[in-house]
Amino acid sequence: MLHACVYATILLGFFGLIFKENLVMKIIAMDVMSTGVIALFVLVAAREGIRTPIVTVMTPRNFADPVPQAVILTAIVIGFSIQALMLVGVMKLARDNPTLEIREIEKGYRP
Amino acid sequence: MTTWTVVWMALPFLVGFSVYLLPYGDRLLALGAALASMAYAIALFLQPVPLELQFLDSFGVTLLADNLSAWFILTNALVTAAVIIYCWEQGKPAFFYIQLVMLHGSVNATFICADLISLYVALELVGITTFLLIALPRQDQTMWIGLRYLFISNVAMLFYLMGAVLVYQTHQSFAFEGLRGSPAEAPALVLMGLLTKGGIFVSGLWLPVTNTAAESPVAAMMSGAVEKAGVFPLLRFALMLNEFEPIIQLFGVGTALLGVTYALVATDAKRVLACSTLSQLGWLLVAPAVAGFYALAHGLAKASLFLTVGQFPERDITTLRQQPMPTALWLPLTLGGLSMSGMPGLVGFGAKVLTLDSVLPWQSIAMNGAAAGTAAVYAKFIFLPHTSDASAPREVRPKPSYWVASLLLLGGVVLASAVHLEAYTWPDVAKVLALLGGGWVAYGVLRQFLTLRLPVVLEDMDHLIGGMSVMLVVLFWMVWSWSMA
Repeated sequence: MLHACVYATILLGFFGLIFKENLVMKIIAMDVMSTGVIALFVLVAAREGIRTPIVTVMTPRNFADPVPQAVILTAIVIGFSIQALMLVGVMKLARDNPTLEIREIEKGYRP
Repeated sequence: MTTWTVVWMALPFLVGFSVYLLPYGDRLLALGAALASMAYAIALFLQPVPLELQFLDSFGVTLLADNLSAWFILTNALVTAAVIIYCWEQGKPAFFYIQLVMLHGSVNATFICADLISLYVALELVGITTFLLIALPRQDQTMWIGLRYLFISNVAMLFYLMGAVLVYQTHQSFAFEGLRGSPAEAPALVLMGLLTKGGIFVSGLWLPVTNTAAESPVAAMMSGAVEKAGVFPLLRFALMLNEFEPIIQLFGVGTALLGVTYALVATDAKRVLACSTLSQLGWLLVAPAVAGFYALAHGLAKASLFLTVGQFPERDITTLRQQPMPTALWLPLTLGGLSMSGMPGLVGFGAKVLTLDSVLPWQSIAMNGAAAGTAAVYAKFIFLPHTSDASAPREVRPKPSYWVASLLLLGGVVLASAVHLEAYTWPDVAKVLALLGGGWVAYGVLRQFLTLRLPVVLEDMDHLIGGMSVMLVVLFWMVWSWSMA
């Protein structure tokens, strides 16, 4: 069930990327897609349990796997900095293309 | 050597951040980092066994530096050094050199990664720094082209991450070997991400527009080094995991033919070079075992061609046919073009012969066709009119920094041809000369008819992203039916 929700999020984000005309909407769709991917990592980490992996006196068995969580933290930071960078670029573009319609921009700036 | 590897890997980033403190030493520091990579690559060649570094006990986070990496690192170092020298007198801001040296470092990192996660981080860093370099002129057009590049590369990397976590779920390790034995969707997702990032086949159609719109030094860096960062992991897969080799080789043949077709009908000089890069990336994948030398040959010649075309006042080939260019510019252009077409005596010959000798029978017709096509593409440049008339106004004449950069690259083109002297056998020389002559004759005959306009619609961003889903389905089928059987 959770798996289905996660894959649905990724797919919806991807469809948004294809079908949304506006550049800002495309960036938001990309964010939805990356949220889905992050959730997939968390889900894989929680495969064998959801306890925080801290060693205590009486060690419980069902730990969450810390490796995918550590890895996805890097990916979250990268994804968020890319989005910030893209929004700056879009702000710059919006000065001359106030509608931010991708078709118009694409036609206008083809070398 | 282990310590040196770590120091060498950290150096470009250290240099990049210290340029913020010492903005006056930007060019020297950046050049120093590139030279350090050159020294490291040479040390790697002398290393008898591949160097393997294992981090983080058993999660497969490893670095692997061998002969193949050394060729790619050397290419990256030479191209970066040439680009820095080329920009020496152009008054670029320190920010340009910071990004360039960081890009150099992250491209280097992809050449020694042997696990999916280090590779992901390195490739994302490549994407961000390349975007900043493309968008640096801060015009709307370059901003849009850069944004488009970042968009496509980031979406591709999201698919790649999904593949990486599926590999981890199966093996509890991120090592490349984990692709074997994972469910078919994991290799399909990872391969799709890398094909897009490396600019292979229809997923790589973002490449011509991006390289055309970027400034010449940035385009030289992209064609010479950056795009190889996506191709290199594919080569590693093909060499490590035999079951994926046929898939990767098939994409190589497809890319070589697709790129040559696009390049033949292009009329903008920079676009011709960019489409030819697409085709040459395919050549790398066709024979993974000898790809290192091919990468060096292509990187040197293509970077010098991009830098030379950057000196032209005009980029349209039809106009260039009517206005003779100075012979001094025509010479480096011809030398680069001849090396790309595989002229004996230049590095391209050895690379071409090695690749053509190691292709499988089913690839051989297609690759010989692609070689003749490449010769026809570069005939466009070689047969341009030129004049030794020195009446050109002073300000359009190339600056000395251009000559030093060209000398570095073209000197490499001539000297590196001595590496594979065993390629010089009569049948091979005759074969390559026949392909070259065939390509030139074909160009001469077909020149009038080459006005066909290929649809540009496939290069739109929507279609590139939509193409990813099609590619994913195709790859899934290929992995499932060829590699899992």
